[in-house]
Amino acid sequence: MDRNRRAIDDHLPLRPVEFHILLSLAAGERHGYGIIQDIQERGDAPVPDVGTMYRALARMAEARLIEAAARRAAPDADDERRNYYRITEAGRQVAMAEARRLEMLTRAARLGGLLSKGAKS
Amino acid sequence: MTGDRLVNVSERWFRLLQRLYPPDFRDDMGDAVVETYRDRARDELRRGGILRLSLLWIRALVDSLRNGPGERARPAISWRRGGNWGRDVEVATRRLLRARTFALVTIGTLTIGLGMVAVVYTFVYKILLEPMPYRDSSDLYYVWRDYGSIVDLKRAQLAGPDLAELRKNTAVIEEVAAMQQFLGGIFALKEGGDPTEIAVTNVTPSFFTLLDVHPLLGRVFAPNETGRGKPNLIVLTHGLWNRIGADPTIVGGQVRLQGNAYTVIGVLPPTFSFVRDEAAGSSKRIEAFVTFGFDLDTQRPDQSMVSVLIRARHGASPQAVASAVDAAGRTVDARDFNNRGLRLYPVAIKTDVVARARPALLVLAAAGALLALMLTVNLASVLLARAAQREHEFAVYRALGASDRTVMRATLFEGGLLGLAGGASGALLAIWATRALVALTPLDLPRRDGIAVDWTIGGVMIVLGATLGLLAALVPAMWATRTALSSLLASSAVRGGGGHGRMRRGMIVTQVALSLVLLSSGGLVVRGVERLIRADPGFQAEGVLTFRVRSPPEFFPKPADLVGFQDRVERTLAEIPGVTGVSATSALPLTASAAPMTISFPGAPGNTGSPEHDTPLVDMIGTRASYVKVMGMRIIAGRAFDPVRVDGRQEALIDRQLAAQFFPNGDPIGAKIPLGRRGFRTATDYTYQPADAYTIVGVVDQARQYDVHQDGRPQLYIRTEDWGFRPLSFVVRSAQDPESLILQARAALKKIEPRVAMGDVRTMEQIVGDLLRQQRTSAAVIAALAIGALLLAAMGLFGVVSSSVTRRKHEIAVRLALGADHRRVLRLVLGEGALMVAIGVLIGVPGVYAAGRLIRGLLVGISPLDPVALAAAAIGLGLVTMAACYVPAKRVLGIDPAQSLRQE
Repeated sequence: MDRNRRAIDDHLPLRPVEFHILLSLAAGERHGYGIIQDIQERGDAPVPDVGTMYRALARMAEARLIEAAARRAAPDADDERRNYYRITEAGRQVAMAEARRLEMLTRAARLGGLLSKGAKS
Repeated sequence: MTGDRLVNVSERWFRLLQRLYPPDFRDDMGDAVVETYRDRARDELRRGGILRLSLLWIRALVDSLRNGPGERARPAISWRRGGNWGRDVEVATRRLLRARTFALVTIGTLTIGLGMVAVVYTFVYKILLEPMPYRDSSDLYYVWRDYGSIVDLKRAQLAGPDLAELRKNTAVIEEVAAMQQFLGGIFALKEGGDPTEIAVTNVTPSFFTLLDVHPLLGRVFAPNETGRGKPNLIVLTHGLWNRIGADPTIVGGQVRLQGNAYTVIGVLPPTFSFVRDEAAGSSKRIEAFVTFGFDLDTQRPDQSMVSVLIRARHGASPQAVASAVDAAGRTVDARDFNNRGLRLYPVAIKTDVVARARPALLVLAAAGALLALMLTVNLASVLLARAAQREHEFAVYRALGASDRTVMRATLFEGGLLGLAGGASGALLAIWATRALVALTPLDLPRRDGIAVDWTIGGVMIVLGATLGLLAALVPAMWATRTALSSLLASSAVRGGGGHGRMRRGMIVTQVALSLVLLSSGGLVVRGVERLIRADPGFQAEGVLTFRVRSPPEFFPKPADLVGFQDRVERTLAEIPGVTGVSATSALPLTASAAPMTISFPGAPGNTGSPEHDTPLVDMIGTRASYVKVMGMRIIAGRAFDPVRVDGRQEALIDRQLAAQFFPNGDPIGAKIPLGRRGFRTATDYTYQPADAYTIVGVVDQARQYDVHQDGRPQLYIRTEDWGFRPLSFVVRSAQDPESLILQARAALKKIEPRVAMGDVRTMEQIVGDLLRQQRTSAAVIAALAIGALLLAAMGLFGVVSSSVTRRKHEIAVRLALGADHRRVLRLVLGEGALMVAIGVLIGVPGVYAAGRLIRGLLVGISPLDPVALAAAAIGLGLVTMAACYVPAKRVLGIDPAQSLRQE
């Protein structure tokens, strides 16, 4: 259990692009452009470059936070075949841990007066 | 331009940008990146037309310029760039894990083989190669005298005045130190304290500066603390200091040496050890150091009395040192020897110390190298067999487009991994085996204490294992790349066979040849040692206890005191129940401790008038009256010493050699030998009588001083009383186990004289055993290496015959079906093995001859072509290899042709 914890903590903090990737995949399997579209829809964060994102994908696949799903037709891209990715259990835990970490920091920022109470973080 | 065309042009741009990324990333991710950009390009075009699309182009360029080189610079994966090595390792490991028996047997073989190689390497490295533990030890040299034609002494000690001569050449020689021939001493913590015998030597103060030793406690000698009339000072080694209680306050206190008070001025660090290697005898670890009580410069120039160490100036070449020493020698020769040809020469300290062990170690190293070679060939043949099984697989790989390099790499990795594992476990095995073997080696083996496997040796073994594995895999790897698609089609008809079979048989032949070489060498060495063990050293060793009793002039100043004490010791020892005889000698057999001196036989018929012939150098041995009888020596003519000594009548015994040389036809009994101050004499602390005539009363066979199997220098025996020899070694013969007498002997000695101690207590059989230990150990190691080699060859043969039976099952079944009987078929298969053995033996014969010449130095009393040893090796090889063929070949007897053919 403890070792598990440490394995998760080793990934923290996540880079924004990594967090966004996990966030998207947590909702379901996505192909590359799908992830970018998700980020665009979330609005606040700058949209990462494609190369940046794929380098992150490669790294995260190596770390087994995500894994490749079957290549299949993508309904949103004229049914051309695309590489899909899915989140692993480890990836989900890392994403949750990162979210908790961010939440704690936000709370601290609020208590410290850096952010106004009740404001959108 | 239509949207689709724009998207396609964009895609080409994106694909072009991919070039900025490293190839492996491109392989994995390139398509996906391009697809994603393409999706995005389509969206941008839809939303904002060409303008937004061109912005995306620029953005893609910036993205690739940033991330492409960034990815290329990523170190963690750059190692993969050269090819997919990581995956190869993984695949090779997995494949080995699947073939567990194969992996275990192979690694097991390598472990034992490389373990043996590691043990040999450890001994060779630690003794021959590792630098001595002194600062800049390559600048240290011993200096010896070669007396040339003056007298037959090629490696004699130096005389006192030689030191000053060496010191003069300060350009080459930085420091000169002298130590006296090993000198035992009776040591006690205080007056009347329990005496023990220690190995103490006197040294010049420069000894410690020369070796660059700094004391743990106190100090070492100052330059002016040596010579006549200086206070008695002693420096203790850490070992002795520990043994006497490790008391730090001992510095400044007094101890007793030979009854005299000595002030302890220092204790040396535990890392310091100095072993004096005697010119011919055994080396001794020095336990304490004292200074000279006399001035070396004023000693007689013809008296060899000190061993001399020099430190050359750093950077001086060995040639420069040799010529500097030689120049000093010429001065000495001109001044003291009328240019009769005395030489001085230096020997590097390590060369000098290891000289005795070197020949045996070189042979062991050669045997170890041969075994490593055998292991390589063996592994190569095993891997080749395995590659042959996978022939089909390789052919499919290649058909699917795998390159030559991929197929080669797969095989190389397998070999490398096996070798690596074998090397590592071999090194582990060697840790234990080295410890066990060191216990078997003689105590005076040079540098014995340091012999152990260390990290460097472990590392070397692992690298050696991996290299050996890679080398071994090279042959099958080359072969595997040659397997063509055609073998896919052909294999079902021909069933393997093909090129690899010939290669494998070639390897077996090589192994047989190599193991014959090792076996014959092993046989020769073992037989040589067996000869030694059975050799007659000229006395009867069984049942004799020996020990040295020091009787220093400090305790027994007058000759009468000395003789009286020695008489008392002999009488008291004789009273111990069970003792059948007691005597004493100045030089026990096989200890190389006799004093060499020149003698002459005036008027003997064998004299030729040439001084070199007429004044031979002999070993002078003092004995008490009954020594010849107690030791069981053989009298050839005349008689032994009279049991009762008559004053003024000096008796002598000569050996067979002297009798034959000087009295070829006549009778030496009654001839006279003048012994006195004439001619050359080595350093002794004997009290000299004026020149006296000694009368030869008998001729004996040598009680050999140096080797069990051959006579050494001619021997001359006189009575100890006539020369005042001291110390004496007593010999006590009894019917019971001699070791059971030690306690009683010690008690008897203590009763007579509490100030003296027994030293070097050994049975005569132990003395013989110690002398033969080095030969025995090297014989055991060589025999083990040879048997290892034989087993390897047998394993290889087993494998080849076994796979041949499997491969030819169909053919054999056909033969059986056509009427051949089983025995005939068995002969056929066996014949194949026998042919390989025969060819191997033929190829091995020149190797046997060469190896025999190489090890000639180790062989005592037998020829390198000894027929018994060589025949035994050949027969042993034949039996084992034929058994290795027969066991798998027997399977043909079980082949039922009908069933076998039906399966087809």
